[in-house]
Amino acid sequence: MYFLGFSMTYILMAWSIYLPYRVKHLHFLAVATMAVTSYMGGILSVNFGWSFLPTLLLSIVIGALISYLISHTIGNAPTFTVVIVGITFVFIIKTAIENTDYLGGTIGLFGIPVLDHPLIILFAFLLVIGYFLYRIDHSRIGRAASVIFTDENLAKSMGIKPKQIGMLFQTISGGIAGSAGVFYAFFVGSLFPDFFTFHLIGTLMTILFIGGYTTMWGVIPAALILRGVPMILPSSIASWRLLIYGVLLVAIIATKPKGLITKKMLWELLKKRSGS
Amino acid sequence: MHILEEAFRARGKLMEFFIAQVLNGLSLGSIYVLLVTGFNLMLLVAKIIQFAYPQFVVISMYATWAVLRATNNVILAILVTIVVSIFLNLLSEPIFRRITSIKGTDINATFVASIGLSMVLVEIMSHSLNQGFPISFSDNWVGGSVFRYGIINISRSSIFAWVGGIIVVVAFFYLLYRTMVGRLFRAIAENRHVAKLFGIPIFKTSMMSYLIAGLLGGFIALLLSMLIGTASPWLGESVALKVLAVSIVAGLGNLKGGLFVGLALGVVESVAIGYVAGSWSNVIAFVIMLIVILAKPKGLFGAAVE
Repeated sequence: MYFLGFSMTYILMAWSIYLPYRVKHLHFLAVATMAVTSYMGGILSVNFGWSFLPTLLLSIVIGALISYLISHTIGNAPTFTVVIVGITFVFIIKTAIENTDYLGGTIGLFGIPVLDHPLIILFAFLLVIGYFLYRIDHSRIGRAASVIFTDENLAKSMGIKPKQIGMLFQTISGGIAGSAGVFYAFFVGSLFPDFFTFHLIGTLMTILFIGGYTTMWGVIPAALILRGVPMILPSSIASWRLLIYGVLLVAIIATKPKGLITKKMLWELLKKRSGS
Repeated sequence: MHILEEAFRARGKLMEFFIAQVLNGLSLGSIYVLLVTGFNLMLLVAKIIQFAYPQFVVISMYATWAVLRATNNVILAILVTIVVSIFLNLLSEPIFRRITSIKGTDINATFVASIGLSMVLVEIMSHSLNQGFPISFSDNWVGGSVFRYGIINISRSSIFAWVGGIIVVVAFFYLLYRTMVGRLFRAIAENRHVAKLFGIPIFKTSMMSYLIAGLLGGFIALLLSMLIGTASPWLGESVALKVLAVSIVAGLGNLKGGLFVGLALGVVESVAIGYVAGSWSNVIAFVIMLIVILAKPKGLFGAAVE
């Protein structure tokens, strides 16, 4: 159960990084948003008795709102500005959690009620988000994003507004990350600030870039294999997980920079099937 | 009268404390300046975002510590540190050359690869070096106080950081603006393709930038180990974050902007440590940088690289 639950949460998180990267934004603000909504969800359920569904809905709204507000300044910022804003927010939020006794500080927040059927709910939610992303990818906005990714000036000359699309994708990313935070809190039942660190960013980047950033499908097998499999490996091997991620990340960028599963590969596969 | 005198004394102490923090900040800022200079050099000439550069510095600090512990020979420790730093930088060159040579890849790919490299180095340090425990340098290496006035205390390591920082920066800018190698660097930074058309050896010059960044990294490792007297596998991550932030606040690849913002970060951080309790002090500098980045996403002094 843990294997699938964790993998599905990571797929959600990887999708929240995938979508803004369609316009070259490595939007790590999603990780900070996840930290905020997971703790918010934890506090609302433990101290105020909120149930899962209203917490989830509120988290999506809060996550999207945080990203929307920040996107006004970084909606069309250079890639590395988006990167540093995201990582800085992660660092600030983590420090704030560590220094706030009400949130459990460095010890952590415990006693969050675990969902009765987390896998079914997570899977259903994943299908909804997956369908939503699929529709975006295959819409005019998705095609416009592909042009921005290839050449922003060309996109502008075609009448595409990169800032608007950047803001939209960052806002959706925040909403998805917000939901991932609540799912994580209600799945694990306890929260620790140390989870929301550079390691999480590194893991998500590994999932996105090894799976492939040109299509939304790549992160699914990547999350299952990279995040799920270490959970069933002996701890002596699993403790080297991040080193393996690092090696794989360097290797994939140096050999197949678009990742293992690409849009082109899927098209060819589809063509072959329809041909046969 | 008595209350007034007390107030003046207290004010004097506050001023002394502030000056002490600013002086500490200038030492730390000198290190940031050197780090950003090395980082920007790689960005401008090799066209890579080398997020793992501070990790190379931290591994070089481990090398300093290991040699000092084994032999207590300062000269050997300095030599080994510089050699390790140069070696690591040169070792990463084929990886980045391979990535930049792939059609369709851009600078983002080098950033992602350098994150991967950074993860590998952190894991190696946390699993294998000193059993993952932080290392501490001896008092002999860190050095004691050279000058004391009230609570203002100037240590030997602070003087090394200031003087070392000034010498290295002056030497670097001399190299960049007064020598043939510097001209080649600037030509590639200006336009890599035109530089190639004019027959500038891109590979050799790029290798030279790795070599100089490595040399610089070795000096930084020595100065940083003296200044903070300790290192841990996770030191590189927070330093890398600051270096990238400084570079973006200054404007990516803007060398002169990096000097100003690097020093400013050191001072702000040090003053914050003096006045704000606990780990909140670390956040102050980040919040200020975040505000600047959000207000001017392309940097204060303009980016040299898009």
